[in-house]
Amino acid sequence: MSSSPSPSGLEAAFIERRAKLLRFLAARGAGEAAEDVLHEVWLKIAAADTGPVASPLAYLYRACDLMMIDRYRSARQARKREKDWTEAMGGAVPGVSDAPSPDRAIAARQQARLAAETLDALGARPAAIFRRHRVDGVPQKRVAEEFGVSLSTVESDLRIAYRALAQLKERLDEA
Amino acid sequence: MPLDDRVPDHRLLDEAAAWAARAGDPSFADWDGFTAWLEADAAHARAYDVVAARAQDAADALAAEPHPANDDAPVRGNRRWLRGALAAALVGIAAVGVLQFRGGTYTIETAPGETRTIALDNGSTIALGGGSTLTLDRRDPRFARLDKGQALFAIRHDAANPFHVDAGEDRLVDIGTVFDVRFDGAMTTVAVAEGAVSFNPGQQNVRIAPGKIVSSAQGSHEYELGDIQPSEVGAWRTGRLSFQQATLGSIADDLTRATGRTFEAAPGAAQRRISGSLLVDPVKADPASVGPLLGVRVERSGDGWTLEPQ
Repeated sequence: MSSSPSPSGLEAAFIERRAKLLRFLAARGAGEAAEDVLHEVWLKIAAADTGPVASPLAYLYRACDLMMIDRYRSARQARKREKDWTEAMGGAVPGVSDAPSPDRAIAARQQARLAAETLDALGARPAAIFRRHRVDGVPQKRVAEEFGVSLSTVESDLRIAYRALAQLKERLDEA
Repeated sequence: MPLDDRVPDHRLLDEAAAWAARAGDPSFADWDGFTAWLEADAAHARAYDVVAARAQDAADALAAEPHPANDDAPVRGNRRWLRGALAAALVGIAAVGVLQFRGGTYTIETAPGETRTIALDNGSTIALGGGSTLTLDRRDPRFARLDKGQALFAIRHDAANPFHVDAGEDRLVDIGTVFDVRFDGAMTTVAVAEGAVSFNPGQQNVRIAPGKIVSSAQGSHEYELGDIQPSEVGAWRTGRLSFQQATLGSIADDLTRATGRTFEAAPGAAQRRISGSLLVDPVKADPASVGPLLGVRVERSGDGWTLEPQ
């Protein structure tokens, strides 16, 4: 791998580790579509014009992981829309817009409230660490410094927060 | 792609959450290990999807809603936590306003005997003493609230955007500065080493110059202005505590926070005033040694030590 990280370093890493990235994507749930997903990831990275990246391989893996999370969320959203559509008796409003409707705004607020309640029930620190890392996008090492705790404490707080949010069962999806 | 977003079982959820916590950080490097875990069982990837997607759902929802409609909801945890930490300090004080929280705040707490330095974005630092609680606001980097204990602020001055510190009912505004704030729930003390601090600009509006120390009781507009060697301001950071005509109650409090040992003033003696100076480490090792240093009698009581004027 290139010793001076640069956009071409990213490309070199991509070419060199292509097989490993594909393997990751396949295991990550892309299955046969791994090639397509990897292609999509690369187009996105090329378009983003990121500039030098400190750790090209980690960056690529992460891009793949985020792409899979996006795909999962879109698929889930599509399924929910389809279900809503059916429940709304065939959908009397053709070409309904994606713009936030009052209903959607209320649902979003409910989601935020549910998430906040779930996090706050875990205690002030896990809730604050989740927000700092996930909402403000601060890397874990800095979060640890800011809160004056170890990196493993940050990790453990996040694990607890993720688990609790996942255990909201269908509530978040259906809110 | 088949979509299965049922909530995975407990163990699986735990593992998925652990990987999500690790892989979600830019510094994560163990992608081979992660791949191996995913390959071990197709259910792993599904569990990870559920966890990662819901974490992102929550983050998106919270990001879109910096001021939640129900303002109590996101701070309930904070309050509960603080309530425990401050219970003793707040008893009998009509200062419920102290517990004002907004959405962007977070709290840093030190154990007694522990100190911690917090670097702020703009090159300013806050050294937090032992047994102290400080609240910062993500949305307002020029604000801090000392909920309890002691902190030394070294603030890079910005005339357009002055730094505020709240301590109980009192508000301090820096005028470019190194200053020490101590708040025990009943009394605020501010000592300035460099620059200047404006104490309660809306009320008494006292300008505290270097070498000056101001103390003011909660609920009172009166204050006491004294002198302090600028080099002694924040000297607790170097492991030295100095007291000038300090009450025995506040000395016991400072000793407890600095050493992690429990000190108390003897009944009826909390208001006695004493001067003296001591090093923290020897007292940590031998609490009885404060006796000769401060001219008090030290007696063991249960897990702690009682200070009594001689």
